[in-house]
Amino acid sequence: MQSNSPILTVEHLTVQRGRSTAVKDVSFSLAAGKDMAIVGPNGAGKSTLIQAILGLLPYQAGSVKLFGTACRPDTAPLLRHDVAYLPQNFLVDPRIPMTVMDLVGLGWDRLGLQLPWVGWRDRRAAVHTALAQVEALHLRHQSLSSLSGGELKRVLLAYCVVRPRQLLVLDEAPAGLDVCGEGDFYRLLNHLKREQGWSILQISHDLERVRAHCDCVLCLNQQLLKQGSPAEVLNPDILNKAYGPGFVCA
Amino acid sequence: MNIDWQNFFELLQLPFMQRAMLGGLLLGTTGGLLGSFTVLRQLSFFGDALGHSALLGISVGVLLGISPNLILIPFLILFAIGVTYLLEKTHLWNDALLNIVYSASLALSIIILSFVKEYQGGINQLLFGDVLAILPEDLIFNGFLLVTCVIFSGLTIRTQMLLILNESLARVRGIAVERHRLVFVVLLSLVVAVSIKSVGVLLVSAFIVMPACSARLLSQNFSHYVSISTALGGACAIAGVLLSALFDLPSGPTIVMTQFTVFLLAVTFSMQVTRGEI
Repeated sequence: MQSNSPILTVEHLTVQRGRSTAVKDVSFSLAAGKDMAIVGPNGAGKSTLIQAILGLLPYQAGSVKLFGTACRPDTAPLLRHDVAYLPQNFLVDPRIPMTVMDLVGLGWDRLGLQLPWVGWRDRRAAVHTALAQVEALHLRHQSLSSLSGGELKRVLLAYCVVRPRQLLVLDEAPAGLDVCGEGDFYRLLNHLKREQGWSILQISHDLERVRAHCDCVLCLNQQLLKQGSPAEVLNPDILNKAYGPGFVCA
Repeated sequence: MNIDWQNFFELLQLPFMQRAMLGGLLLGTTGGLLGSFTVLRQLSFFGDALGHSALLGISVGVLLGISPNLILIPFLILFAIGVTYLLEKTHLWNDALLNIVYSASLALSIIILSFVKEYQGGINQLLFGDVLAILPEDLIFNGFLLVTCVIFSGLTIRTQMLLILNESLARVRGIAVERHRLVFVVLLSLVVAVSIKSVGVLLVSAFIVMPACSARLLSQNFSHYVSISTALGGACAIAGVLLSALFDLPSGPTIVMTQFTVFLLAVTFSMQVTRGEI
């Protein structure tokens, strides 16, 4: 994949939730190796947009291309295998008997019809590397039910990065992490982007972090209000338009 | 209570008793294996609803003059697919919707059976089952079903793990969530349909739920959990058949009480582990 060629292209996407239009005629593209943030107030359609891109919600108009190929029912399963997704408010039922190693290992291969012991050595090595990357190797034998919210977030991030992929989609992922955890989290995102060429699409409410770490920003409030560099988008005019007058004083 | 051991050992030599033990082993193992996934996918009540709706299938068969054995499997598969469709389309609470379906099918089957006076003598066998009535052809089908469930579970165990953990994550990974659910409920309805002959409509869900819940109390690791549930399902069924022969008790309820005893032992063990006594 050529650098700067779009990894994700969204054209005229419209998504209904019930009878209301949650996302209206949104178009943008994300270049390879770039980090894009989606910002906007609550109810702006940020999570809806991401869920439609990932195939979790149907869309009424428009198109989504991943890695240059249109997402259709026949192509989407294969394309989405190169996408890692960390949802908002991920809750684990404490009654599920699963360890950290079990969960992170699920991110490793294609999960088609295969015997569970096929490739387990490679999987175990990859799981160790991923857990070390998010500084959670010490948790590897713990059951999921015993993890704190912040620890679970790290483990889920390990699940995302256990296998090299092209696109990481994060829905308010750092929420629940402490200050140190949040710093580590953004350092890891930078590492994935710079050293491994991942593209990142993330929803964030932390405008200062977005300003410091992201290459481009989409400001959304049902419709796309502005896209561009953080300096172009995160200015008082646009933010006041998105969040309401008086949100930022010029 | 006097135990007639000689009579017991003579009983074990009889073909119907040997078929009952083998049938119990096959059904118990299958129920334990599939039950481990059923419980974690929160489909326990679905299994119960399937069991009770079987009575409707049997009633329709009796009314139409078709053997209940012939109508049960296709009826339960269609019923499971229909209920899954309703669950997906209505977005109602699973337990509430299943309660509606379960009550309606039970009510309708009682109305139908009230028209078929000559069949009322056989209702006890439908309600409580009889593992001693297993025929050689049942054993072949039960064996085939166990092999199918083992292959399905073996090949999809890691996909099932992700589906149990979070369906959105599975969907994003390109897993056909609906197709997996459909295959699973069809297998579950097959297991329920063939188990009804042995344990009856009222107790069939115990075959699915109890070994899995006992296994959950005894394990923290997913593969151990599935293995223990499978082993307990088979072991409890064999033990139940033997105990029913030894004490001349009805077979289906004895198997279920054996499963319940194991469950109580698992609860005790789990509480001792939690307190740090083991």
